[in-house]
Amino acid sequence: MRSIRHHLALILPLFAILFSIEYLLVFDRIIDRYETKLKENYSLILVADRSVKLSEITHSDTLIRKIEPIDAQQVLQKIKGQMDRESLEKIRSIMPLFVSIKLRRYAERERIERLKSELMSIDGVKAVHIFEKVHDRLYAMLLFMKTGLVVFGSLIGLISLLLLMKQMTIWQFEHRERMQIMALFGAPVWLRSGVLFRLALVDAIFALVAVAAVMLYLVNDPEVDGLLRGIGVEPEVLLRLDDIAVLAGASFAIALLSAAWVVIRFKEEQ
Amino acid sequence: MRNVIEANGLKLAYPRHEPVIKSATYQVQTGEFVFITGASGSGKSTLLKSMYGSMPLAGGELQVGGIDMNAISGAKLYKLRRHIGIIFQDYKLIREWSVEKNVMLPLIIAGFPKDVCRAQAQKLLTHVKLSHKSDRYPPELSGGEQQRVAMARALAHNPFLILADEPTGNLDDYSSQVVWDLLERANEELETTILVVTHHIPDMFSADYRHLMIENGVLYEIH
Repeated sequence: MRSIRHHLALILPLFAILFSIEYLLVFDRIIDRYETKLKENYSLILVADRSVKLSEITHSDTLIRKIEPIDAQQVLQKIKGQMDRESLEKIRSIMPLFVSIKLRRYAERERIERLKSELMSIDGVKAVHIFEKVHDRLYAMLLFMKTGLVVFGSLIGLISLLLLMKQMTIWQFEHRERMQIMALFGAPVWLRSGVLFRLALVDAIFALVAVAAVMLYLVNDPEVDGLLRGIGVEPEVLLRLDDIAVLAGASFAIALLSAAWVVIRFKEEQ
Repeated sequence: MRNVIEANGLKLAYPRHEPVIKSATYQVQTGEFVFITGASGSGKSTLLKSMYGSMPLAGGELQVGGIDMNAISGAKLYKLRRHIGIIFQDYKLIREWSVEKNVMLPLIIAGFPKDVCRAQAQKLLTHVKLSHKSDRYPPELSGGEQQRVAMARALAHNPFLILADEPTGNLDDYSSQVVWDLLERANEELETTILVVTHHIPDMFSADYRHLMIENGVLYEIH
């Protein structure tokens, strides 16, 4: 029972640290995916005289990935039946040029405004319309939540580290007598501290498996699935193989450094 | 015969305290059985500690097994300790290890295969009449039994020197007899050098021995 409690005292803080790291990774990925989606959907429609040079629009700002003139034929097709051929030709001749602008990346509001004013400065450009304002607000909210998560995660990490250090002090006390006796009989450092490192590695594996299990549960939870799909993100963002590698690295590094701390602090009694 | 221990003007002191041992000059040769006596607090255990490197020297010179204890480094000290058997008054057994594993400790440290360690431990546990308790843990044994386990551990790796600090201080007559018999046998049959710190030399001890005594921080040769 005591042994389980001692293992949990290391596993739980490690779990909290790993869970915070994983959540930050996941949140980062959600924002990234959402950004991609925004970038794809975010469109600027430019209205200009037919005399405008398309290459001038393309090269006006590095943020522009490509431009696509919108075919006016579809609109004219719809009203074709309501007017005669002559009127239709007249409308066609006075209709401005509509250009859809695709961006390289999702940009903040200020950057888009700067792009807009640059486009407006081109001769022949009459207007620039920006769409997807709702997405923009949701994105701002996600960024705000991420900042909160970083602060919260850092606090959890700090508290967990303090708990870890406390547990290491208990370990130091528990293993001191055995290490002391082994040192008196000439045991090298690796032999007398081997058990500590074994314990640390086992606990690191337990913490890692626990975090992976929770994330797997979340991936398969219908509510989480619905929530993520609601903002257009696939639930697979919750757990990836490279996350496991990052978490394993963090878990083993923290556990082994903790054990090393106990070993370094060991001093032979006089 | 060569000197196993050689001390010249040895001075020992705990930090911020007056020296416990003000001056000790002595030599112990291979195969000798030496008793060091003195009153409580006279510095007997401190003198013993200096021999296995647990007490830094405050002055003078000390050589154990030809190694200068003044300039000894961590790794070199551990190497030296692997050839010394130590018996403590408070036994210093690892509580979470079985009796057999405790006896195996010096052999594990020396890197012997597990089956060799186990066979040697069983042989020594038979000598100390505790083979039937090899899978027990130290807290389940009496003080006398624990000291016999410590005795078996001290002999396990056939050390060139055994240092014993009040080995029978807390023991009943039977366990004391077992301990003295084993020390005598190790000294006679294996020519192991033995240094025992004690309040008084036991009456049951019949073999040849040397007697050193500490008084007022100075070590004297009695005989």
